[in-house]
Amino acid sequence: MSIEVKNLVKTFGENKVINDISFKVNDSETLAVVGFSGSGKSTVLKLICGLLTPDSGEIITSEGDIAMVFQYSALFDSLNVADNISFALRERKDLRKKFKEKDLKEIVRQKLELVGLKGIEDKFPSELSGGMQKRVSFARAIVTEPKSILYDEPTSGLDPISSTLIEDYIVRLKEETKAASIVVTHQMSTITRTADRVIMLYDGKIVFEGTPEEMLRQETPYTKQFVTASLEGPMKMIA
Amino acid sequence: MTLQLFFRYNKAMGAIQKYLKQSATYKIFSGIANLCEDFLDTLGKITIKGLQFFKALFTSKIDKKELVEQCDRFGISSLPITLSIVGMTSIIVASQVANEMVKQGGGHFVGLLMTMLIVREVGSIMSGFAIISMIGSSFASELATMRVTEQIDAIKVLKVNPVEYLFVPRILSGILMMPVIVIIASVVGVLAGALTTAMTTDLGFRAYFDSAWHGVYMKDLGVSLLKGVVFGGTIALISCVCGYYASGGAKGVGLATTKAVVWSFVAIVVWDMIFAVIFFF
Repeated sequence: MSIEVKNLVKTFGENKVINDISFKVNDSETLAVVGFSGSGKSTVLKLICGLLTPDSGEIITSEGDIAMVFQYSALFDSLNVADNISFALRERKDLRKKFKEKDLKEIVRQKLELVGLKGIEDKFPSELSGGMQKRVSFARAIVTEPKSILYDEPTSGLDPISSTLIEDYIVRLKEETKAASIVVTHQMSTITRTADRVIMLYDGKIVFEGTPEEMLRQETPYTKQFVTASLEGPMKMIA
Repeated sequence: MTLQLFFRYNKAMGAIQKYLKQSATYKIFSGIANLCEDFLDTLGKITIKGLQFFKALFTSKIDKKELVEQCDRFGISSLPITLSIVGMTSIIVASQVANEMVKQGGGHFVGLLMTMLIVREVGSIMSGFAIISMIGSSFASELATMRVTEQIDAIKVLKVNPVEYLFVPRILSGILMMPVIVIIASVVGVLAGALTTAMTTDLGFRAYFDSAWHGVYMKDLGVSLLKGVVFGGTIALISCVCGYYASGGAKGVGLATTKAVVWSFVAIVVWDMIFAVIFFF
């Protein structure tokens, strides 16, 4: 078991964003977390990777690193691509003595190759397109060989072709790293092309759990409303 | 019956509460309470990060490349503005004081007064103000931008200690470079004072410097250096803390920068007062 969430609760002020949710993600499995904007999807990721502390509940993860790919890449804009990717290996107390400069260069090259990029080591994030930035952030995330990878809306803001490319890399990274992955998204193509299972959040609770195919069959009012992007249904948007 | 009374009581209390919340008195007191809460919250964060900085300073490896980069930014790039401000302040003071003192028969004290004023106060406090506006605001806005673009979250997820990576080189650069800036600025200030005195009065350079040496003691130089260390560390720490805890988007970056500048100004004036009481009272 790579990631297990039990009875998780998180409140901001008086707003219960996550209300007693539980789920599991196995190794080499990708779980898509879907739902309307503000339904608590990103909060779930931040709780799992330790950026937020839950009010109650339990998060159990396998030993090893948890990597996160941020919605807007979050590359360090003062560092070039090579330094961004090798950042954890250079700066982390437990890793910095393990690698020499020559090793770091080779690791950066390998990771860039894995996400289909070559020869951009000296470029700065501002010189890259959105899709390239996203792929560099993938390379940075997997540099420590994580056991779990969390993707926060990895295809938002990208054109359809770049989205397809990113989705392919999510699948490829899962196969290469055998990591348990969670993809937060509301893009149908990302759900169908990357996920093995889907959970849908609404009002802080899981209102659907199943495979992408089951979701597309629209057998519950929630999946029907989400798939058809309808304003009519049990889920109400807060304007 | 009891239940009815209870509900009536609750309703009445609710109405009173609603009315009170609209009153000017409530708004004034809640505003003061919010200010106090924000003050204590910021002070707590500065204290905690300050302690974490000292812990990291003695337990972690300092990135020399990053430290040199920050020292260059803190000391070298800010020097022209700092020297201009201290030099001009000395010219303003000398042009107002020298002539008057000569007229009153105290010409032989001009050098002493100017040097004492510059070494004890102007050199350090005016340099501090210049550094706050140039470097403090830049530290705060840089870290605030990193916060709102999730770069600080990325540092944490990659399991790198943000205090070691972001705070240590910046605060250390302040501690190392500020005393140097204060000394250079004081020398420039004394020379600017001498030039102004020579140009606006009959006193020559020699008379100015003959009296100047009598106004400076080793203690003054030592306190000035110590002030540099404390001011530099304080400005860098406050600026980093305000930037680090920024929230929101572009507005959040602006608010964090303003907060860093205001807090740093107040902090170094308070420090200056403490130094004056301890060493010159």
